Amino acid sequence: MTPFPSRSHQWLSSSPLDIFTFLLLLLLTVFGNTVVADTYKEKLDLQPLPGQFLLASFNFQSHGPIEAFNKQMFQLFPRSLGQILQYTHTRELHLRFALGRWDSELWGAQPGNGQNAGGTGVETWAWVEADNEAEAEARWTALNNALSGLFCASLNFIDSTRTIRPVMSFKPTGDYSKKDKSRLFLLHGSLPKEPVCTENLTPFLKLLPCKGKSGISTLLDGHKLFDASFQSMSIDVRPICSPHTETCDIEIQQTIDMVLDISRSLQRKDSPVPRPRDQHELICDTSKPYASNEYCYPMDNSVDLPWSLSDLFGRTISGGCPLAINPPEKGDEAPHVCIHAPEKKLKTMQTLELAAPATSQGVQPDLNCYVLKENVPFDISFSKQQPPISPLRQEPLLYAERSFTGHGQEHGGVKTVLRNPDPVDSIGVVYLESLPWFMKPYLHTFKARVLSASDVREEDVILDLYYRPALDRKRGTQLEAKLIVPPNSVVILTYDFEKAVLRYTEYPPDANRGFDVASAIITIPAQRRNSNGGKIPATSIRTTSLLLSLPTPDFSMPYNVIIFTSTIMALAFGSIFNLLVRRFVAVDEVQRVDLKGKVRGLLGRLRKGKTE
Amino acid sequence: MDRKSLLVIGAGALIRLVLFTAFPSLPTILAQRVEISTPVTSYKRLQEGIYLYTHGVSPYDGGVFHQAPLLLSLFSILPPSTIITNLLYVLADIFSAISLIQIASSGVPTVTPHHVSPRKANSWPPWAIAAAFLFNPFTIATCIARPTIVFTNTIILHSIAAAVNGRRGPAFVSMAMATYLSLYPVLLLPPLLFLTYDSLKATSKPSIQAFSAISMIILSVVLMIYFKLSHLITGSWEFVASTYGVHLLLPDLTPNVGLWWYFFIEMFDSFRAFFLCLFQLHLLIYVPSVCLRLRKQPLFALITLIGISSIFKSYPAIGDTGLYLSLLTLYNHTFSLMRYTFFLAAAILYATFLGPAFYYLWVYAGSGNANFFYAITLVWSISNALIVADAVYATLRDEHETERPELIGKDVVQI
Repeated sequence: MTPFPSRSHQWLSSSPLDIFTFLLLLLLTVFGNTVVADTYKEKLDLQPLPGQFLLASFNFQSHGPIEAFNKQMFQLFPRSLGQILQYTHTRELHLRFALGRWDSELWGAQPGNGQNAGGTGVETWAWVEADNEAEAEARWTALNNALSGLFCASLNFIDSTRTIRPVMSFKPTGDYSKKDKSRLFLLHGSLPKEPVCTENLTPFLKLLPCKGKSGISTLLDGHKLFDASFQSMSIDVRPICSPHTETCDIEIQQTIDMVLDISRSLQRKDSPVPRPRDQHELICDTSKPYASNEYCYPMDNSVDLPWSLSDLFGRTISGGCPLAINPPEKGDEAPHVCIHAPEKKLKTMQTLELAAPATSQGVQPDLNCYVLKENVPFDISFSKQQPPISPLRQEPLLYAERSFTGHGQEHGGVKTVLRNPDPVDSIGVVYLESLPWFMKPYLHTFKARVLSASDVREEDVILDLYYRPALDRKRGTQLEAKLIVPPNSVVILTYDFEKAVLRYTEYPPDANRGFDVASAIITIPAQRRNSNGGKIPATSIRTTSLLLSLPTPDFSMPYNVIIFTSTIMALAFGSIFNLLVRRFVAVDEVQRVDLKGKVRGLLGRLRKGKTE
Repeated sequence: MDRKSLLVIGAGALIRLVLFTAFPSLPTILAQRVEISTPVTSYKRLQEGIYLYTHGVSPYDGGVFHQAPLLLSLFSILPPSTIITNLLYVLADIFSAISLIQIASSGVPTVTPHHVSPRKANSWPPWAIAAAFLFNPFTIATCIARPTIVFTNTIILHSIAAAVNGRRGPAFVSMAMATYLSLYPVLLLPPLLFLTYDSLKATSKPSIQAFSAISMIILSVVLMIYFKLSHLITGSWEFVASTYGVHLLLPDLTPNVGLWWYFFIEMFDSFRAFFLCLFQLHLLIYVPSVCLRLRKQPLFALITLIGISSIFKSYPAIGDTGLYLSLLTLYNHTFSLMRYTFFLAAAILYATFLGPAFYYLWVYAGSGNANFFYAITLVWSISNALIVADAVYATLRDEHETERPELIGKDVVQI
């Protein structure tokens, strides 16, 4: 923790932000002599990925003493969020906004062991302090409504049908005393249909101390971020206690992971309106039999494209965020920008207005780190490389994909394929699904099949199962399974489900598009490898969300249906009661008056009237 | 039972066994047909319920299983073998056929204390009635698809068989069971009461009031026992809302052959409760009028009410219609008085063949929409309703001709 007066070197500069900081510091020194200040760190990790992609991981982290937080003395912690958390008694909050799919076959393991990634759309989970379940749910609803306003997202639609209470999948990451822990309730909700866009990014940036005006957050532009092949924004708030001093901090960590398609970004830079590439720009695969001057089979990845941060993000980093710059007299300078690539590739890198290289440079040959200076723009660039240098790729612990099986709008099946690439060790995972109530799974059809060289019985795969069936219009299905995926093998989970028909008012306006089903969450708890005792860190993986098409009624029919059905019922009622209430007589016993007689009688009466 | 009846029963059982063994995938295919399985009877949902029950999850705390708890315990006691389950369903149908033979042999369809049909010589022999039940395609399809409506039907038939023989205890215990299993048989109580009363021996007849009071006490005590047993099995009263609540409030709008599902898909939210009440009351209103008008033939009143509830109940299936049509053959002697036999038979065939086709067009091919299947359910319902009405006409005519034999063969009108 940094004591406040040590930031005095900043006072001399003249940018408006620094005046603001100065005022802030002044206020703080006036109002509290013993106040220990919040600390703030930010870091950008860049890593070229296979297939001409670039992973940019932004991480913003601030710590502050929890006593100050509880007294509503917010320094770097965003006041808007802090007050919501206090009002709803939320002790730990995790919020995820994600778009796109992480292609683990191509890109390898997710950054940060997937802990910062969420399912498609919005996902949130929190530990709420309450006396009982009903109170926890009320606070959860209040939390979602408030966050909905703060982040301009439809979080208020997380109601009881979209909320689950996971049993095995999530563990609190903060530190709590035993007494507190018993009063915490975990609630989890997801909105797979939510389109994440710039209106969510702006409030996200506003929570940062430098608000996207300086530091690495200057790179975050909505047009670029939401054009990425994969992007995930996360906010995590948790208390952290030090076991030695018994003081607790509150930590807020905001991350953005984005995977940029380099060739797409460069093309966008040249021509904002997408158009096909000129023929002379194409690199053709001449090994194809039909290759000629007229036919071209474009070859991918034959060359490493030249790029710089300003090409990809549209701007350079405009100097470091003053709050994230460590004083030079303290030796352990935390780097702000790191780039992780093969050594050969790093040699081709150039920096513009070079910031100070971090001291840790040189320890790892495939890592270059830089410390940003205030008001000094920063950029890095790579030149064209031919043949390309294949980037680093870390094998993921597990490959997971999920899809629907079957056809028609009546029944269906879900198939999840989990593949453990490790040749030696089996891996324990927890599989969690939260299904909407109108998708009715049959648990008795839930089966695990193992495709592996070794002889593994299917019963040994599923260790434990937690199931909470859906209730129509009240809650969704929650399915949690503890599994073992044997080494070098594939586990296929399948089950059948039935599609419900909804009331016509329950369909969204685009009913024939289908309904989004939230991603399955696969949690790999921290464990040790059987073979060498090596540690497997806690990891989480999300599958893609699914699109469920339900049978639809004819939305233009309500009046017609009411009329038709009522007519049929009236007809049946009439024909039966007609028989029941009237009695039989022979035809000749009654004077029957037919149409002819009626007409004649009428005419006769008319004539009579005339003569009178 | 004579040889012919035994032969018919044997042949009926054989057809079912052959279908079960020669086409092992047929039960699964038929069990998924919406015309045969409804959310409150489906075999697949029963399996899900048993799975959840045996794994310690309450099946009634979910939206899938809506069947009675005693079925759960019955099937969880049975060894988990398809052959035994199939045999159970075949046995249920055989018992139904035996009950029908007993009903037919008792002569009640033609001769009651208040009415003797002038056409009684025309009625079919008992074996033919059993054959009409066992070889009815609706009944066979229902048996192969294994919905639990099969058991309800067997129990209703057993109750009627006991009633025509004047055995009050079995009749009301069975009817309580049928009510417990699928709620709507409760409508059959008044005609069952008359039927049992009429079948008592003239020497020891109590007054009708005393008789009804005691019967109702029997019924309520037995029902209470069933509920208490269910409570013991499941450990809570959740099952009441999840079984009878579903029959009454229709939360699951899965298509079926009835009129309710599309009506309540398209219903405006503010009128939903009103029309739910209306639809339930609509069923109730037939009971007193049918019982009063057909007081001379309580068995026919009972059959008519089975027919009406098979059209207008919340989750009808072709199994209900199959039961009604089989029971109707007991009154075969009045068929000559029916007016629209050809038209109605054609309409039923039309709906039977086009129903699955239109459902396919809507749900699988996507080239039709929900209105296709809805239109067929309308045809199905109205033709069934007209069959009921026409059968009532024929029977009333038959009664009328007993009173005034001079009108036989002459045209009549209703005033």
